[in-house]
Amino acid sequence: MSSKVMTMQEAVSKYIHDGDHIALGGFVTNKKPYAAVHEIIRQGIKDLYLEGGPGGGDTDMLIGAGCVKVLFNSYMANSGFTQVSRRFRKYVEEGKILWEDYSLDVQPMMYHAAALGLPYVAVKNMLGSSLVDKWGIPEEVYKSDPKLPAFKLKVEQNPFNPDEKVCLLPTPKIDVGIIHVQQAAPDGTCRIDGPIFLDTDVAMAATHCIVTCEQIVHPDELRTEPWRNQLPNVIPDAVVEVPHGAHPSQCTNYYDYDAMYLRMYDKVSADDELFEEFLNEWIRGTKDHKEYLDKLGASRLLELKVKNGFNYVPGLKRR
Amino acid sequence: MSVAEYTSSQMMAVAMARQVKDGSTIIVGTGLPLVAASLAKNSTAPNVRLCFETGMIDGGPIEVPTSVSDMRISYNASSLWPQYYYFGFQANAYKKKTIDIGFLGGAQIDVYGNLNSTCIGDYWHPKSRFTGSGGANGIATNCNTVIMMKHQKRRFCEKLDYLTSPGWIDGPDGRKKTGLPEVGPQAVVTELGIMRFNEKTKRMYLAEYFPGITPQQIQDNTGFEMDLSKAVEAEPPSQEILDILLKKVDPQRLMV
Repeated sequence: MSSKVMTMQEAVSKYIHDGDHIALGGFVTNKKPYAAVHEIIRQGIKDLYLEGGPGGGDTDMLIGAGCVKVLFNSYMANSGFTQVSRRFRKYVEEGKILWEDYSLDVQPMMYHAAALGLPYVAVKNMLGSSLVDKWGIPEEVYKSDPKLPAFKLKVEQNPFNPDEKVCLLPTPKIDVGIIHVQQAAPDGTCRIDGPIFLDTDVAMAATHCIVTCEQIVHPDELRTEPWRNQLPNVIPDAVVEVPHGAHPSQCTNYYDYDAMYLRMYDKVSADDELFEEFLNEWIRGTKDHKEYLDKLGASRLLELKVKNGFNYVPGLKRR
Repeated sequence: MSVAEYTSSQMMAVAMARQVKDGSTIIVGTGLPLVAASLAKNSTAPNVRLCFETGMIDGGPIEVPTSVSDMRISYNASSLWPQYYYFGFQANAYKKKTIDIGFLGGAQIDVYGNLNSTCIGDYWHPKSRFTGSGGANGIATNCNTVIMMKHQKRRFCEKLDYLTSPGWIDGPDGRKKTGLPEVGPQAVVTELGIMRFNEKTKRMYLAEYFPGITPQQIQDNTGFEMDLSKAVEAEPPSQEILDILLKKVDPQRLMV
């Protein structure tokens, strides 16, 4: 059996290049692939076309670290801690990145369609809204950039029912999908506990898929009950073991979000200098995920361990 | 009976909870709507089913969740769907009548209940940029909605800087000609009162003003002309409901 196990450094340098189109799994403060995001920043990868599950600190950090050229957005917040992601906000307000806006319904449908190999989706969403007629990316950029479709969308009559209007959107061409799961086998078989969000679609839609996981388990462990697995071994290209790899977001059956870290991020992401210091201290200043965990410390991580029967930490310090 | 003391955001949460019928299915976003929904579930609507765009269905949160993806929401849930299933459920809801109300919020609203949660100023060079649609556009497309707003003149405006989520568009046939399902905003709850929409014109009118607030005060904080003639004073919250809100639903006072 061939093993897809590699280190975070190897996986990122092998599969993610300047100018790639990448998609991240998770949802604002849940199961975000932070360990991979940190490594992308450490390797200084640039000009990414970025999308995925609704962005939180993961996407915001990539923007602030100068890794992103184009953001395909439907939502950007560490909800409950940061109302609007602050680096995102600054970069949009100052015109430092290109962005395009969608409805949060539509992006997962586009990923699902991409996972099924379909060329476009037809939806009612976005009709009558500025999402249809105000495009973030200029028309000429759509036309000239081979990484982008020819245009954002098109409103058409449904050919099967001419009385009905539909909004047509091209499915994205994603180079690399990155998701965080609880358990994976060396062959790439994945078991996701808790919410799946759009992770399996992103994994399937992308040309290459990096899976980061809490633990690599013996293959037999996942094969005795294969119906409990969400991705078969034929999808992932790389399997990376990074315990607490979704910190500071949540990971079902493992840990709660680190509310005080998210509050710290809220503060540092509001200020250029503080943000640079944060990157230099926590991300670039740590050689790898192990050093990042050492910096957090064992007791801090243990306090985040979910309590049986809750899947969060009752009474967690959140303010 | 002694008069209960409460803040305007607590009144707002109580007023929103009153819009929730027992046994109904509602879609909830983050922040105050989540608190209001939890309050309803813990008081007048114990059998309400809460749905979230993360695909977490009919959970019974004990602690206030900070986001729609917070595992606190999935406590005792019926199912955690992949997102595409959830959005399919939502897209079919107006045909099957499976969702009663979706809660929404925004930075700007116009007289027809169209909402902006994307930016203030020019879209390409915004003065203030917000999250963007999130699930709001899809909820507004497919469901009847209750909208929560801060009541300020600059937020209740003639013309939105960006239309993120469609309301009644520009009047009674606005949605039909746009190609949208014929559902739409039912109520707007602010810290001053509750607005509803005229059956015929689909324009917003004042339905209830909160104790201590006058209809004229509400008009003064609204950037368009509003019909005040049908307005009545709202019931103040009872001590019992405030106790549930502050002792059970949000004891850490994260939202209210």
